[in-house]
Amino acid sequence: MDIATYKNDVWGREVLLGVSWDLLWLVCVIALVIVAAHAVYMAVQQKAERPSKEGKRMQRHEPVDRIMHWVMAISILALLFTGVLPIIGVEFAWLTLHWIAGLLLTAAVLFHIIRSVLQKDLMSVSIKPDDFKEPFDENQKPGKYSLAQKGMHAAVTVVTLLVIISGLFMFAMIDTPWWDRTNSLSESTLGWMFLVHGLTTLALIALIVFHLYFTLRPEKLFYLRSMIKGWISEDELSANHDPERWVPDESA
Amino acid sequence: MASFDVMPDVQLYQPAELDDALSLADRYATRGWLLGGGQDTYGWLKDRAKHPQAMIDLNGIEALRGIRESEDGIEIGAATTLRDIILDQRIISDYGLLSDAAASVASPQIRNVGTLGGNLVQDARCWYYRRGLSCYRAGGNTCYADTPDGMNREHAIFGASRCVAVSPSDAATAIVALDAAMVVQSVDGERTVAAEDFFVGPATHITRMTSLEPGEILTAVRIPAKWAGKRFYFEKVADRNVWDFALVSIAVAMSMDGDTIGDSRFVCGAVACTPRRLRNIENAARGKSLSDESADAVASMASDGASPLNANQYKLPLMENLVRRAMRA
Repeated sequence: MDIATYKNDVWGREVLLGVSWDLLWLVCVIALVIVAAHAVYMAVQQKAERPSKEGKRMQRHEPVDRIMHWVMAISILALLFTGVLPIIGVEFAWLTLHWIAGLLLTAAVLFHIIRSVLQKDLMSVSIKPDDFKEPFDENQKPGKYSLAQKGMHAAVTVVTLLVIISGLFMFAMIDTPWWDRTNSLSESTLGWMFLVHGLTTLALIALIVFHLYFTLRPEKLFYLRSMIKGWISEDELSANHDPERWVPDESA
Repeated sequence: MASFDVMPDVQLYQPAELDDALSLADRYATRGWLLGGGQDTYGWLKDRAKHPQAMIDLNGIEALRGIRESEDGIEIGAATTLRDIILDQRIISDYGLLSDAAASVASPQIRNVGTLGGNLVQDARCWYYRRGLSCYRAGGNTCYADTPDGMNREHAIFGASRCVAVSPSDAATAIVALDAAMVVQSVDGERTVAAEDFFVGPATHITRMTSLEPGEILTAVRIPAKWAGKRFYFEKVADRNVWDFALVSIAVAMSMDGDTIGDSRFVCGAVACTPRRLRNIENAARGKSLSDESADAVASMASDGASPLNANQYKLPLMENLVRRAMRA
């Protein structure tokens, strides 16, 4: 199974064409096997008592952050559906929908970056050496975000930025309401853009499978609630987080 | 790129029954090649620009040939030659639009062997693509025709999405104007597709020109009686009158009430990747009479929404004038 595909250019030279979409099925299978293995592992583990959702409510996500999260989620899913469905044989006019979703994601990510830098505590989501003690020490509880959550955020950040940057290069090569395409990039450069876009798409698919799985796990459902309603209970806070490392707003 | 006088090494199947052809088409799918009259096929193969493993010759299947009465009009087998269509009296009298369109295809020699199905499903004629270059339509990442120096005089002014190739079929414009249904068969059964939906643009599927899936065979074209004997107009403008593709063509079917136009279907060829219905013209023409005044009143709408390339802006007035000529008394 190849990672990339190649074609001959106008001069007969071999040029990179993009990712080999045979990898799509491999990525899906690997991601689902990992999820299944984790589900089996968790099923045989002793289940801890779940903290109560009653009691005082602590704010975990502000409304604006929740809105941006769902805007990004919807745009990424729209990008995946419009980009991947034609590859697996579902035919429709996908390109315009795809770039509109791409622009929506780009705007949401830019907003998120600016807000994170100017108005939020960037350090709360950055991975620090101490965080690596969490998996091995039951007494080491995380601040606002666990190591797994920070790792997921870092991976999604890198992959999303790469998919956006490569997508913007490709966007410049098609007709839009604002410009006519120029075909100004060489085929080999375009090939690299398609390869990066394809590989990051595959990575995003795997990350989304993991994200959905962990979101829907029973012991993690309160995080999903917090991304919808904004709050977690005091009990959930003390059971999963270190109140000294994260002091949430109690006004939720 | 080298071109060869001899055919490449390819497995040739010559089934006599449709079921056998469907089985072969299913077995080989994208590795197979359906052969009609061969007028689209042999260039590809001799240029070694396509590399099928198997060629499935449909010409020996009697069920795919001939012109038959159907419940509501006529049914034409996909392997019926263009010559047979041109000479068929029922088609001449009731569906003259199709015989006119078929008569405008290529040359007498090609019409003698070229089939209706082959003409309808033939591949794009963009020379960059036919040359075997890895353009968008060939699965690549670029279009050679839509560049500042690209040779795009014959290319699309509507509906381009990365690829700017046009539908080359003369019969397709007539088939869409006659509101035909395409009969498509596979080992899974039969489906019919409206001619207008049969042709697909690059926004939907950039490496195909029709909705035919691998393993499917276009077996017949059904033309409803709705437009039988109506007023027809077909005109094809090309650089020469024989053995050339359209620069712009028009096929029109009009239901007349005296001198007044009722329902109509105006379809232009060679301006988009699919035959282009001119719905705004159809709406504007309803209730008008056939006259120079009516023609002048609606003709300029034909090119609404066009996005010409560097070398094909002439197609806009050409389209408008063809509409004008179709609406003259």
